[in-house]
Amino acid sequence: MDFQGIHDHLRLINAPGLLRADEPRAANPEDKKDKGRGGDAYLVVEADALASFLETCRDDERLSFEILADLTAVDPGKDDEDFWMIVQLLSVTLRHRLAIKALVPKDPGQIPSSSAVYRAAQWHERECAEMFGIEFTGHPDPRNILLPDDWPGSPLRKDYEFPTEYRGISCE
Amino acid sequence: MATEHKPSITFHPEPRNLPGGEREYMMDVSTSDLEVNMGPQHPATHGVMKILIRTDGELVTAAQPHLGFLHRCAEKIGENVEWLQYLPYTDRYDYLASMNNNLGYSMAVEKLLDVEIPQRAVMLRMICVELNRIASALVAFGTYGLDLGAITPFLYAFREREWLLMIFEKICGARLTYSYLRIGGVFNDAPPGWLEEVSHFCDVFEEKWQEYYDLLMVNHIFVKRTADIGVITKEQALDFGLTGPMLRGSGVDFDLRRDVPYLRYKEAYDAGAWKVPVGSGEKGTVGDCWDRIFVRVQEMMESLSLVRWCLENIEEGPIIGDIAKTLKVPPGEAYVGIENPRGELGHYAVSDGGKVAVRCRVRGPSFCNLAILEDIMPGTLLGDAVAIIGSTDVVIGETDR
Repeated sequence: MDFQGIHDHLRLINAPGLLRADEPRAANPEDKKDKGRGGDAYLVVEADALASFLETCRDDERLSFEILADLTAVDPGKDDEDFWMIVQLLSVTLRHRLAIKALVPKDPGQIPSSSAVYRAAQWHERECAEMFGIEFTGHPDPRNILLPDDWPGSPLRKDYEFPTEYRGISCE
Repeated sequence: MATEHKPSITFHPEPRNLPGGEREYMMDVSTSDLEVNMGPQHPATHGVMKILIRTDGELVTAAQPHLGFLHRCAEKIGENVEWLQYLPYTDRYDYLASMNNNLGYSMAVEKLLDVEIPQRAVMLRMICVELNRIASALVAFGTYGLDLGAITPFLYAFREREWLLMIFEKICGARLTYSYLRIGGVFNDAPPGWLEEVSHFCDVFEEKWQEYYDLLMVNHIFVKRTADIGVITKEQALDFGLTGPMLRGSGVDFDLRRDVPYLRYKEAYDAGAWKVPVGSGEKGTVGDCWDRIFVRVQEMMESLSLVRWCLENIEEGPIIGDIAKTLKVPPGEAYVGIENPRGELGHYAVSDGGKVAVRCRVRGPSFCNLAILEDIMPGTLLGDAVAIIGSTDVVIGETDR
């Protein structure tokens, strides 16, 4: 199914938390600041309902997204108030993909964990948590995965300041 | 008066039925739990990774991979260097399949740029990527034999891999970190005689492949150590988001090259140039260690026929599209997943129209494939731990990035 078909179907079955679709568009010739947007089309979903939305996508027969290919976050800028949670789903039987985006406010930076729906999400969420400081409520194993347990700060946030020193080792 | 004898070993009341009619009697010996650090310096972890294993006698009761020893901040670097400058960093995730990594990153940026790739570049890309897949599978196959105590196949596999590395050296000057596939095309045209040498390699390798198969895959000792060991069911594989040979080993017929097509793979598939090998439980259960390594070994031959198809269809022409030296990528977000030797390599690039990426996410297949160890290791014997870890074929450069 193409993106439009998936979107229509999700509207039809009243998927929880579905807000809108965001598709690539050309630049507006009248507005010089507007450069348009390229790349993928994605669905915008309410952050609190992300887990149940994913469950719908997985269990619906006409969608059957069996695989959560990727789950990550983006910090779009220092002044931005939200993180983006990006989820990439993949269906091996129907051979289609879907990109999902949820806006998570930086303050308090909390989102329910999706690892009960897809086990694959567990390690991706651990990575997001340490890199962005997002808290996944209900996560079964909220340890750091790539960074040391006592690493200060969240490295992939735009307001991250590089440490000058770690355990007596100079980083300058 | 004789004292009452208390046995320290009790037999399990119900014997376990093994395939082939044998029955196994379990004994309960009172033992205490022991936690063993396997790694970070352990030859079977294929790099710097630690697996914390809790054992009860010979039985593994829990396993927990600890990563991050090789974390080089690839994603953070991606937000600090220009688009073109990031390419050499992609070589370093899965250093056994650098061509594939270059391709994934280039395709993600090209999706945002909306640039057309010349046909000759597409074919050179396919040839290099598939040859690199063979080289990568040779390492997977050779080191897996080594893990299980078979040293000879490893030496044979590296002999052919050496030839492949020389072929790569001739086209791009590097043996491991190629940076050959550039955004918009490839960096260099094939030197005179290169395509002929690749064709010669294909002819020689086909014979060698049969040798490997006879030497290891049907070897009785090897089959005994891998069949019915570390079984991943289809449901588990999907739940854990496994991709590539790990998924196909569990009997799921899915290959991104065919099912979410890119380059000219679909065309080659329709022309009958290659097939998708799937684990069938030939020596044991579907999804066991033998099936996974079988898929990798079979894929070498499929890659070989793909290379042959490309050699037949390659045409003269330009090798790189119109790409500026200082690249400004139009605003947008693009995710591109390609079939790496280890599974789906995803690149998610976000641009705000500037010279530097806002986000440069890498979804490494080894990272996702490694998580399954937490689930399949408990309940196995310690002796099989190495067989199971080896069958996941992780490259630590990619799990840690």
